[in-house]
Amino acid sequence: MTAHGGLNLVPLVDILTSIVFFSVATYSGAALAALTSFDLSLPPVVVTQTEAQARSPERLLNLLLAVRIAPDGLRVEHSEGLNQPIAGLSDSTFIRLEALMRQVRADFPQNNDVLVIPSDEVSYDNVVRVLERLRVVGYSGIALGSRAREAAR
Amino acid sequence: MSRAREARAARRAAQFAKFRVTELNLVPLVDTLVSIVFFAITTQTVGELSQVMPGVNLPSSIVGIAAHDQLTLGISSSTIMLGEQTVMGTGQAAAAQSNMPDQPLVIPPLYAVLKNKADSIRRANDIPQGQSVTTPLAIQGDREMPYVLMSRMIQTARVAGFNTLTLQVNKTEVPAALAGM
Repeated sequence: MTAHGGLNLVPLVDILTSIVFFSVATYSGAALAALTSFDLSLPPVVVTQTEAQARSPERLLNLLLAVRIAPDGLRVEHSEGLNQPIAGLSDSTFIRLEALMRQVRADFPQNNDVLVIPSDEVSYDNVVRVLERLRVVGYSGIALGSRAREAAR
Repeated sequence: MSRAREARAARRAAQFAKFRVTELNLVPLVDTLVSIVFFAITTQTVGELSQVMPGVNLPSSIVGIAAHDQLTLGISSSTIMLGEQTVMGTGQAAAAQSNMPDQPLVIPPLYAVLKNKADSIRRANDIPQGQSVTTPLAIQGDREMPYVLMSRMIQTARVAGFNTLTLQVNKTEVPAALAGM
C-alpha cells in the first residue's frame, strides 16, 4: 500500500530550530515581567499672589497634604490642621494609613494631590508601599519630596 | 475501437500531457507563514512590555498604570544603568559629591550622561536648550536601597532636564483579602 498526502515536517522543524537558536542568541539577560508605574508630579511650589490669580481656580492648591515616612512610622499632615502619627512600618501601619487617607479624601474630595516626604534612611520598598496605598485611595497627583538640605558651599 | 479513434485518443492524451499541472509543494509556504505569525505575535506583545533591568530587585504593587517600554534608569545593588549603558557603581553614586552649589543632591557622572541624553532628545525634537524634555524617564530602583539614593537620582534627572518621571515596579495580583473591598 502506498502512502497518500504524507506531510513533510522537516522544514517546520528546521524553522522552529532556527527560532530557538536566534531566541537564545539574542537573549540579553533582561527579564520580562508585567510592570506597573507611578507617575511622579512635581512637588508643590510657593506662588506669589499675582501668579495665583493668573492660575485657573481648579489649579489652585486648596489643601497641602503630606505623608512623612520615618524609620519608626508615618505621619500625615495637612494645611487644615491634621497631624496624625501612625507608628511602625508593618502591614497594619499601611492599612491604617489607607483608612486615614480615605477619611481625608472624603473631607476634601476636590484635592487629588499629596506630597510624600520619606526620610533618607527609609527603604525604597516602604516608599512604594505608601505610594500604593495613596493610589488605592484615589490620589492621582503624587509628588516625592525630600528633606531640605544645606546647599554645598 | 477503430484505429482512427485510438489515434484521436492518443493525440488528446499527448495534448493533456503537455499542459499537465505539476504538483505544488505548499509545505515551505506554510512553514514560512507559521514563522511570520510567530514573530508578529511575539513582537506585538513583547515589544510594548517594559523590561526589568538586570540585577534590579523591584518592589511590588497591586496598583499603578501600565508600564511601557521607555528610557529607563536602573539602580541595582551594584550598578546604575541608563538603558543598556552602565553609568557607574551604586556605591560610587552614593558617595559622589555634587559640584553644583545650589543642587546638593546631584550626582555629577550621572548628570553628565542624562544631560547628554536630554540634549540629543532636544536636538531631535527642536526643543530649545534649557527647556525640559517631554520624553518620560522610567526609574527602576532596588527595593532595599535607601531613599536618599532614589531622591538623588530623581533630583539629578530633573536638573538634567527630565521632568516626566515614573517609578516602575512589579505588578502583583490583588490579594484575596483586598479583592472584596
